[in-house]
Amino acid sequence: MRISTNMIYELGSATLSRQQVEQVKLQQHISSGKRVLTPSDDPVAAASALEITQARGLNDQYHTNAGVARDKLALEESALADATTLLQDVKTLAVYAGNATLTDADKKGLAAELESHYRQLLGIANRTDGNGLYLFSGYQGATLPFSETAPGTVAYAGDSGSRNVQISASRVLQVSDAGDAVFRAISSGNGSFDAAPGAGNTGSGVIGPGTVTDMVAWNAAANGKDFTIRFHVDNAVVPPVTTYDIVDNVNNVSLTTGAAPAAGPYLRSYTPGGTISLARQAPPDTNPAAFDFGANVTIDRVPASGDTFTIQASTDQDVFTTLHGLITTLRNAMGGTEASAAAYQNALNSAMSNIDNAHDHVLTVRAQVGARLKEVDIAQSTSEDLSLAYNQSLSRLQDLDYAKALSELAARQTYFEAAQKSFLTVTSLDLFKLL
Amino acid sequence: MGNGIFGIGISGLAAAQAGLVTSGHNIANANTEGYHRQGIIQSTSYPLRTGSGFFGQGVQVDTVMRVYSQFLDTQVAQSQAQASYQSTLNAQLSQVDNLLADTNAGLSPALQDFFAALHDVAASPASVPSRQSLLSSGSALAARFNSLNSRLEEVRSGVNAQISASVTEINSYAQQIASLNTRIVTALQNPSQPPNDLLDQRGALVEKLNAVVGTSIVNQSDGTINVFVGNGQNLVIGQQAMRLAAVPALDDPQRLEIGFVLGTTTGRIDSSLLQSGSLGGLLEFRRNALDPAQNALGRVAIGLAQSFNDQHRLGQGLDGVLGGDFFSVPAPAVTAKTGNTGTLTVSAAVSSIAGLTTSDYRLAWTGANYTLTRLSDNTVTTYATLPQTVDGITISGAGAPAVGDSFLIQPTRNAARGFAVAITDPMAIAAAAPVRTAAAGANTGSGAISAGTVNAPPPPDVNLQQPVTITFTSATTFNVTGTGTGTPLAVPYTSGGNITYNGWTLQISGSPAAGDVFTVTANSGGVVDGRNALLLADLQTRATLAGGTASYQGAYSQIVSAVGNQTRESEVSAKAQESLVSEARQAQQSLSGVNLDEEAANLLRYQQAYQASGKMLQIATSLFQEILDLNG
Repeated sequence: MRISTNMIYELGSATLSRQQVEQVKLQQHISSGKRVLTPSDDPVAAASALEITQARGLNDQYHTNAGVARDKLALEESALADATTLLQDVKTLAVYAGNATLTDADKKGLAAELESHYRQLLGIANRTDGNGLYLFSGYQGATLPFSETAPGTVAYAGDSGSRNVQISASRVLQVSDAGDAVFRAISSGNGSFDAAPGAGNTGSGVIGPGTVTDMVAWNAAANGKDFTIRFHVDNAVVPPVTTYDIVDNVNNVSLTTGAAPAAGPYLRSYTPGGTISLARQAPPDTNPAAFDFGANVTIDRVPASGDTFTIQASTDQDVFTTLHGLITTLRNAMGGTEASAAAYQNALNSAMSNIDNAHDHVLTVRAQVGARLKEVDIAQSTSEDLSLAYNQSLSRLQDLDYAKALSELAARQTYFEAAQKSFLTVTSLDLFKLL
Repeated sequence: MGNGIFGIGISGLAAAQAGLVTSGHNIANANTEGYHRQGIIQSTSYPLRTGSGFFGQGVQVDTVMRVYSQFLDTQVAQSQAQASYQSTLNAQLSQVDNLLADTNAGLSPALQDFFAALHDVAASPASVPSRQSLLSSGSALAARFNSLNSRLEEVRSGVNAQISASVTEINSYAQQIASLNTRIVTALQNPSQPPNDLLDQRGALVEKLNAVVGTSIVNQSDGTINVFVGNGQNLVIGQQAMRLAAVPALDDPQRLEIGFVLGTTTGRIDSSLLQSGSLGGLLEFRRNALDPAQNALGRVAIGLAQSFNDQHRLGQGLDGVLGGDFFSVPAPAVTAKTGNTGTLTVSAAVSSIAGLTTSDYRLAWTGANYTLTRLSDNTVTTYATLPQTVDGITISGAGAPAVGDSFLIQPTRNAARGFAVAITDPMAIAAAAPVRTAAAGANTGSGAISAGTVNAPPPPDVNLQQPVTITFTSATTFNVTGTGTGTPLAVPYTSGGNITYNGWTLQISGSPAAGDVFTVTANSGGVVDGRNALLLADLQTRATLAGGTASYQGAYSQIVSAVGNQTRESEVSAKAQESLVSEARQAQQSLSGVNLDEEAANLLRYQQAYQASGKMLQIATSLFQEILDLNG
């Protein structure tokens, strides 16, 4: 085969320039540390890298969001912790208020102390975050949630909304609780019903909070959840005999007889401190229909004839009303008569169970907040793991294998030098030199 | 006899001289473009017939021949056309490839920053600085769309400039070939004595022309060549050169096409017929890489703007006003063809972002029907009337079309250019939901009401924010009262079932009791509500585009990978074609190229022949002297 002299030069220079291009490209890879410099280096890797970068960015964002959620939850947690401590103090004071040796003046002193607790609690409920936004006002962060419209009456101006922060791709975390859910949606009485003395009671009967023994029976649809316990004292005999009846106010029937309520004496006889059951006890009950509302109450001391006690389904009572009720009870306490002492004791009992409820309720919310805080921790550690995984994927897609690249560079250098030398050798072969 | 010796010696001298001259010419032109080595063809002169037989009369030079193979030269020209096609395509694609390669300049970081800012707003909806930062990142995102688009526009105008330059080059080569044709006809008086150097010059021009546009060559008997481009369009006919022109497309003035000048009119060459040469590469790049890439970018812009706006309009700003459009994006572009004669005007609107493709469309009136051609795959659909909805765009028309009227519809082309943030007031960012729900405090049942959502698509129901009360009449039924609800009575209740009125949907779950009341009201003062912002943030990863298969980022990644693949493919093809050219040239040079060593040897050979012939003359002279001496 012939070869033209021109071709020797052309081929030689083409080879050299091609090798140079390859080397420069390799050098760019090495100096940037990237395997993929332009999408054409590896189109699939380049596109995946974009997707993973977005996923990593989102993951970082969720991590940041989780931090925000923690800050917000921590603020709420601390407010709820303060509220819990405060309600514990109130409870202690209420228990102390039941001490029989207290004078009316002592009680007034206690009332004053409780008044300050009441103010403190209002302050906690109106607490703001670092940006001046109220913690417990639902969506209306700029609206003062709790305001006293009249002494003891606290109106709620917020709403039921809860604020949310997205802490992972699949989890939107609640980071606030609306004030009405925390401080207002508190069941009164024992949580199922309110046991209260009638307003005109003259005896010294004191009713306890009562218990529900069968929640299904208590919640049954037929249960009107509105009962009155009526007392009758037969003073004609010695000692006097006290009997009572239970009236279903909704259907206006006596539960013990099954007939319309009548005047005493009644079928069931009263023992101070004994259990009064809202289930049929035959005898002495004559009601032909069996009934069991799954609840009982305890009444102690000596009710007078005509005294009544009511059992009604619990309603929501806000903690401020409860507190104010206690304060009023203490402030208005008038020692002396048995009836007033009983009224005081009944009011105190009711207040204590309401305070217990409030305390438990706030504790429950606090436990939920604690659970959310834990979830934040888990979400953050998950997102840290994910971040690591994403970084590894990205590195696998984009990063250069230095060992490979450097040895390739060395090999290319050798080829290049060989090409240069051989080119010189070939081109120096020239017949004209010999002529 | 002496005369014969002299004659032979002189003919030898002349032949050797001719050989030396030709070798010298070869050496001198070793580096001349298109040069084919030449050699002399010599033969014995007509012999002298004598009684003692035929005596040779020396040598004669018949012709100077160039060593030439039409096959090899054609192969070089054709592979050159393909190689410059591929390398031009590759060079153009690399521009886009590099543009997308820069992770700081691509769309992704701006997109991510924007949604990160959105998450900040969702977490702190009342924070005006967060909102301001969202607006700023929105503007940055818009700027990124705009700048990516304008880079692509620059590439596009670069393509236009190169098309014009290529056309000028083609015309110049055509002119030169035609004038060489003329000179060759004149020089070629004797067909057996070809004007080698002129032929070489013409061959070199053909090769250069082929680098710009693929041609086919037909040799004529008078020595001229005819040159054709595309689908047999004349470029050079004998001594006559035609002219090409770069002319704006009839339905897209921004787009230069190739035309040929016929007197006062200009015909057009379909760009798909020019498939080789750098011009072919430019046209291919524009048609199959630049247009789809720019359209795809536009599709991301339209998709983002529209889906974001749709959700944003279902929310409520910090000012309590329902959300408006967050982004603005131009409507699909419709360009009427220059020379339409009917009164039809066409407009197009996006009806579904999921249906949008990255193609352009051409609508034409045939006299009986509208034909809509999707230009990416030339799918034709026929309609009797307008409006029609196809591929997520609704095409409407007004007026009467004339036969042959056509319109170019570009749904996404300009979207990235005009993408902008429509709101300036941070308060107007609709982070909150416009309604909120509540359960009455006196409820005795365990029913819980969900926060409620606003139904898509916008605009929201006019009664959306009217207060509505849901009152349970029993554990299984409820009444609804409020403006716009139609006050239905005794609606059956299913725990967790959707309850939808006035454009909102909520769920009540649990066991509500008779008399329980739930309310829906306007979310006035809901400054820390980030529900709508969360829904907006969710759009980042939702597959809203390409028939519900791609997120914004996914659709952008598709552009990156498409361009990356095209570039890689063209890079490989360009390299392969380069080596084909090299092989073809080697084969051609192996036959026709000058080898200096060979020429050096030839020089020696002819020098020796010359010396030998000279010696012959010397001998002849001394022979003659012998005769003269005899007389003396």
